Amino acid sequence: MEYLETGKIKKEEARHEAEVSKQTGFPSPATHYLEPSIDLNKELTQHKDATFYVRVSGNAWSQFSMLHKDVLIIDRALTPKAGDLALVVQEGVFKVLRIPVGGSKISFIVWGTITYIIHCTS
Amino acid sequence: MIAMVDCNSFYASCEQVFRPDLWGKPVVVLSNNDGCVIAANKEAKEMAHIPMFEPVFKIKDQLIKNKVAFFSSNYTLYGEMSQRVMNILETFSPRVEVYSIDEAFIDVSGMEHITLKGYGTVIKNTILKHTGLAVGVGIAPTKVLAKLANKLSKKVMKFDHVCVIDTDEKRIKALKWAQTKDVWGLGRKHQERLKNIGVFTAYEFTQLPLSWVRKEMTVVGERLWRELRGESCIEFRTMPKTKKAIGTAKSFGRKLEDLERIEEACAYYISEVAEVLRAQKSCATYIQVFVTTNHFSNSDKQYTNSCTVTIPVPTNNTFILTQEARKALQRIYTPGYRYKKVGVNVTGLIPQEYVQGNLFENTKLHDKRLMKVIDTLNHKFGKATVGSALVGTRVAEWELVKKDRSKRYTTQWKELLELKND
Repeated sequence: MEYLETGKIKKEEARHEAEVSKQTGFPSPATHYLEPSIDLNKELTQHKDATFYVRVSGNAWSQFSMLHKDVLIIDRALTPKAGDLALVVQEGVFKVLRIPVGGSKISFIVWGTITYIIHCTS
Repeated sequence: MIAMVDCNSFYASCEQVFRPDLWGKPVVVLSNNDGCVIAANKEAKEMAHIPMFEPVFKIKDQLIKNKVAFFSSNYTLYGEMSQRVMNILETFSPRVEVYSIDEAFIDVSGMEHITLKGYGTVIKNTILKHTGLAVGVGIAPTKVLAKLANKLSKKVMKFDHVCVIDTDEKRIKALKWAQTKDVWGLGRKHQERLKNIGVFTAYEFTQLPLSWVRKEMTVVGERLWRELRGESCIEFRTMPKTKKAIGTAKSFGRKLEDLERIEEACAYYISEVAEVLRAQKSCATYIQVFVTTNHFSNSDKQYTNSCTVTIPVPTNNTFILTQEARKALQRIYTPGYRYKKVGVNVTGLIPQEYVQGNLFENTKLHDKRLMKVIDTLNHKFGKATVGSALVGTRVAEWELVKKDRSKRYTTQWKELLELKND
């Protein structure tokens, strides 16, 4: 039969065999439930090319729950809304502030929106 | 239609993103070995008349007096910021040609249903918002016109960094504005020749008969002539160009006299060059090594020499290249001088699949796997994790300390931007 010669069955290249191959007995009951592990890059950053990490030095921003040596995740792609934490520039100096509701009297330039604070406990 | 996007004073701008205290202030960036000024922002160019490529020690006082901020070049940072810009551009068009670290052509054909001026403005605003870098956008039917539009976008205030040449009327207006020196790819020699026959503007150039242009300026001139008239003839490349030669040369942190140290530095540069060769899948046929003393020193005896060797079988193997470079270095090294710099250049690059074996040479093909392992390890664990033993472990003794280099804010966890708040 001609189709047997031309239509050779090709081995699939990317086979997910890791979870079954190590087992000699029953296949893992989890086989069909496997999911990729949690990836913090995916969870904590939305816009990779607009994300910057900065480190806080000093405890003057403890009101924002930011302590000495904490790392902030800044997303420049987002536009901070009223109530959001933002890294801003005022007279050439970086400041952290909560965007006030109903506009603000002081002028500042938004550098980026602070989306997460990473705090090391030790 | 093609858009040419380029960053304004890219190196200086990368530094300024993280230094708001320098916004609107003059900033210059020094070359790799802090030898000379390689980049200056608008403010620095305007106020201080800083001569580019002038040795730094000659103008340092001038920089300090004019309160010009200066940085050693931080290519790690610039490269990473460049990557961000290019990634963002890819969200605007499926075809992006990265032309240099701070310029790219993007294909915007098929976007005619929206206004190109509007599209260019969105590109500009997005890059500024996401990265903090300001860009200019020029949009036109050909690459040469897009480049010209880009220039206009910055020089003519009302364009506000986005200029579109989409009608014949606008094209002619742009050509009449442009001097021959404003035309991308029109060299100084051709500018002179055109001046001699009374051609000063790009428009006048396009009015010359094609036969004259072809005869006097070869096919290169003809291409420019056609492109300026709106006929696209420079192809769009989305694959990076393979380099024709790769080299590296850096000054030492202090003057070196003994061969051993210079050999170590030479081996180190070879490992860098070999890595680039492998990344672009090329092999080198010739290797040139040169040494030089400090020409600015009046007290030192001066010596400069170079030596080129032919590699028996073209290769990108670090160890073979290191051996060959070492032979060359030993031939030119003369004791009794205080050396300032060693450099290596590889040329005669050919695609690795075209390398012809040599009957009398033992070509070790299995070394390819070793090279792959080396590259993987160095990529994963940092530069120079593994390599030739000749590099030694005393890199710190001769490597230049870039004392004015900014932090690698975007690639090193230990060098993040610090926000001091007390």
